Amino acid sequence: MIASILPSISPGTLLAGGITAAAASLWLLLPSGRSGAADRTARWLGWLLGIVALAGFLATGHRLGSVGEEAVFLTVALVAVISGAATVVSRSPVYAAIWFAMALAGVSGVLLVLGGQFLGVATIVVYAGAILVMFLFVLMLAQPAGLAPYDRVSTEPLLAAVAGAVLLGILSLSIGRLTAEPPACCLMGGTKAALLADSATTEPPAAAATGIDMLADNHVARLGGELFGRHLLAVEVAGVLLLAALIGSIAIVSRGAADAEPAAARRAVP
Amino acid sequence: MNLLANTVAPSALVIDGLVVGAILFALGLVGILARRNLIVMFLCAELMLQGISVSLVSWSRHHGDWGGHVLVIFVLTVAACEAAVALVFVLQAFARTGRLDSAAWQSLRESNLPRTIDRELPAIDTVPPKFPKLAPAGVEPAADEDALHEREHV
Repeated sequence: MIASILPSISPGTLLAGGITAAAASLWLLLPSGRSGAADRTARWLGWLLGIVALAGFLATGHRLGSVGEEAVFLTVALVAVISGAATVVSRSPVYAAIWFAMALAGVSGVLLVLGGQFLGVATIVVYAGAILVMFLFVLMLAQPAGLAPYDRVSTEPLLAAVAGAVLLGILSLSIGRLTAEPPACCLMGGTKAALLADSATTEPPAAAATGIDMLADNHVARLGGELFGRHLLAVEVAGVLLLAALIGSIAIVSRGAADAEPAAARRAVP
Repeated sequence: MNLLANTVAPSALVIDGLVVGAILFALGLVGILARRNLIVMFLCAELMLQGISVSLVSWSRHHGDWGGHVLVIFVLTVAACEAAVALVFVLQAFARTGRLDSAAWQSLRESNLPRTIDRELPAIDTVPPKFPKLAPAGVEPAADEDALHEREHV
């Protein structure tokens, strides 16, 4: 829509501008030890540039079929991305954890739109319900009062933002290439094409051709069948891994507590 | 034999899902590289895992295949294990140094790398929060003088 208003700018330029704006925004927003008015100005500028970056991405994005679907996807994706950025740049780790919970809500919405009904719910239950609460418990145990000095500075914010921008640029280039032409692995010679054309008449149309989610009906039942049928051994291994992590963390806690006591006593002496 | 799916361009929804996954992954990468708080670094690692999950589910939709969904379930499992073990390590590190700072462990760095030196930070100009006040009502009870003097804590 916006791309049609600005016909003179190519999508590639728009995307590059968006990624640059995103990197500059993250650089300004990451904690840098500034204080007072300079800090506030940097944050305002950072969020403003973040909005510009998001607009760039939205302009180069693809339009979905129906307005409702697009509105829902845009809402949840924006929630996920903005909350993710706030997780990264929050000074207070408690706020970072809360923003991460918000990002999880957005990601679970994206998964639901993409047809991962079970995974959308499992993300909320497992991540927001268990893992995030564990993070918050550790924060309550270990967080000093007020903002610690190491929460107010970051190591090499500029280089980190540039690294993220380069990665994002490479990823979006390769994603954009998916639509323009098939990847090199799938360019086929004549015989393979004939074989494919042959199989196309007998096989049902692929999900991508129709845009219909082939995994939608009886979703959870079929996912469970797949998980406990084809991947049964992996499920067992995952169970063993969970058990090993449980025992391992208990062992580390109990042994570390014995080791840490003399260290704490040494610290307390002078 | 789902060769056909490989040759068809992904639908717009799949592409958008992949882009959202890429953005989340890059954000997590920036956080891991830049932040110094150990717990925030782990939160950023989890953010990267979320980006991966979104990408996997997008590809699963594109191919009409269960592989991505199953892989995301295993990602969830491994993330739970990783969080448990990592948080125990963080607690141990906090018990030893009293800080959640990754630079507190910089003696583990390579010998040719410079030392991270913290500079003096300007004071935070925090505005004290304004709490609403109730209008005084009723009769103030007579204070017990002895109790006021003897009591150390309220």
